[in-house]
Amino acid sequence: MRKLEKTLLEVNSLASGTDSNLSALSILIVTLLYIGFMLSVPLYAPQKVILFAIYPVVQSEMSGLGYGKVFLKSLWVLPLILFIGIFNPFLDREVAFSIAGINISRGWVSFLSLTLRGLFAVQAAYILARTAGFFDMCHSLRHLGCPKILIVQLQFTFRYICVIVEEAMWMDRARAARGFGRKNYPLSMWGRFVGQLLIRSYDRATAIHRVMLARGFNGSIPAARSHKMNRASIIFMIIWSALFVALRLFNFESVFSGTFQPH
Amino acid sequence: MHMADALISTPVALVAGVGAASLLVVASRKVSKIKRADILPLMGVMGAFVFAAQMINFSIPGTGSSGHIIGGILLAALLGPWAAFLTLASVIIIQCLIFADGGLMALGCNLINMGVMTTMVAYPLVYRPIAKATTIRWRIMLASVLACIVGLEAGALAVTFETELSGVTQLPYVTFLSFMLPIHLLIGLCEGVASGLVLCFIASYRPAMLASVNTEYKDSEQEDKKSKSTKWILAILSAVALIFAVSFSWLASSDPDGLEWSIEKITGNAELAPAVAPPTAIIPDYDSTFSGVIGGLIVVALIWGICIILFRSKKSVRSNKN
Repeated sequence: MRKLEKTLLEVNSLASGTDSNLSALSILIVTLLYIGFMLSVPLYAPQKVILFAIYPVVQSEMSGLGYGKVFLKSLWVLPLILFIGIFNPFLDREVAFSIAGINISRGWVSFLSLTLRGLFAVQAAYILARTAGFFDMCHSLRHLGCPKILIVQLQFTFRYICVIVEEAMWMDRARAARGFGRKNYPLSMWGRFVGQLLIRSYDRATAIHRVMLARGFNGSIPAARSHKMNRASIIFMIIWSALFVALRLFNFESVFSGTFQPH
Repeated sequence: MHMADALISTPVALVAGVGAASLLVVASRKVSKIKRADILPLMGVMGAFVFAAQMINFSIPGTGSSGHIIGGILLAALLGPWAAFLTLASVIIIQCLIFADGGLMALGCNLINMGVMTTMVAYPLVYRPIAKATTIRWRIMLASVLACIVGLEAGALAVTFETELSGVTQLPYVTFLSFMLPIHLLIGLCEGVASGLVLCFIASYRPAMLASVNTEYKDSEQEDKKSKSTKWILAILSAVALIFAVSFSWLASSDPDGLEWSIEKITGNAELAPAVAPPTAIIPDYDSTFSGVIGGLIVVALIWGICIILFRSKKSVRSNKN
């Protein structure tokens, strides 16, 4: 239950973003462009991928999150990448280059590239989540043309997470108080427990929905603040987009080996 | 089963994204036509329920690994396939946008692997024919177990296919499948039993919550069947065309392009590099990959340092002013 309680706190904190002049839509578009351009870099060019670190580093510091925290948060993706990518060094043994007499295979190069791509993509998504805020992001998605019912569904699901987690915590507390320290229950008992949780939460959600209807709910939740694109958001989008295009098209990394040339 | 951005290529992400987005639009239209009074709160609460359930990882006996439920069959049994797809999509989108679980670019793939395979494939083909419009417990349990297994196996198959198509792993397709299918068979079995128990409980205490039993839902489903149009055929044809367009890119030649070929013919080398390294070359003797990585790291460290100095000093000035 500790995990659920932690989630409840985290969900509440993510409802609104940081106090920034940037619109959620601009952050969302820049994040999508960033991940798209970064993933389009060839797998055997980690030196090119590494330059894309510029966005998470700068953006996390600008928004006050701190890159160290963002980096630590992105580490959870490593096991998945290890599972998929660890076979590359063993299966692709063609030598890519040598360092001080030690041969480095193409498999290791692609593995490094895969790891960097995974980390940077998660970092960009984390920065988006922390800076844009969930409800502002929903309104941005609506501006992008997402169906109204999907947006309402997203908002309802987000709100009802608190309802269901609270119900689960109450039921668990009641079970612990009356269980005399018993922890193991038969499988059929868990089925009843979860079924009860579902029915109780459903009844509470229906009551909330009726109250909303009585107060004039017409199928859309109004935005708390304006989501118009301001000048800062437009400049933010132009600068980052231009940088992503430049990073993708020019070999900036070759400056270090003395072979700078455009593609 | 959440795929990360690093595991897919941009073309695969785009095709899957377009496919999933089209299905979301269709699902939204279908759901808005459902004449079930409690559909909105039920979808919201079920979404939250599946979200919470997906966070609880259970260990898989004898494998040393763990898995979590997807919840597609549970949702489809209570909401019907279209509303279930929309609900599961909202869960996956929240996980992606808020918890960075499953990548933004991989969102389309995740919607197909987890959402479509369970609610659009396993539910109509396996669950509905077995469970029928009844509340018989053994039927519900059997249907739930089989549908969950089929849904998860189909999803695992899709994951391996998308990863293979993206070309990010050297792992042979068959070996990858031999890892994925058995583990998802066990996860499917566990999810099937868990979903079956919950559905049996609901069938006993609140049968009207089941989509197959709810009369309002059945009426709107009948009306919808009558108003089928050619839009569906167009959507399917577009999806097939997109998949073919990407699949046949495999046939593209890996030979050098025209310019490289010409340079190779003239100079005997496809690459043009200066004979003497300029003064900016810090590591001129090493290969560009290694030196690029080192150089990139230096740039990143420099930028990070500058950011810390610039933005933190700004912050401290602001806090001093306050």
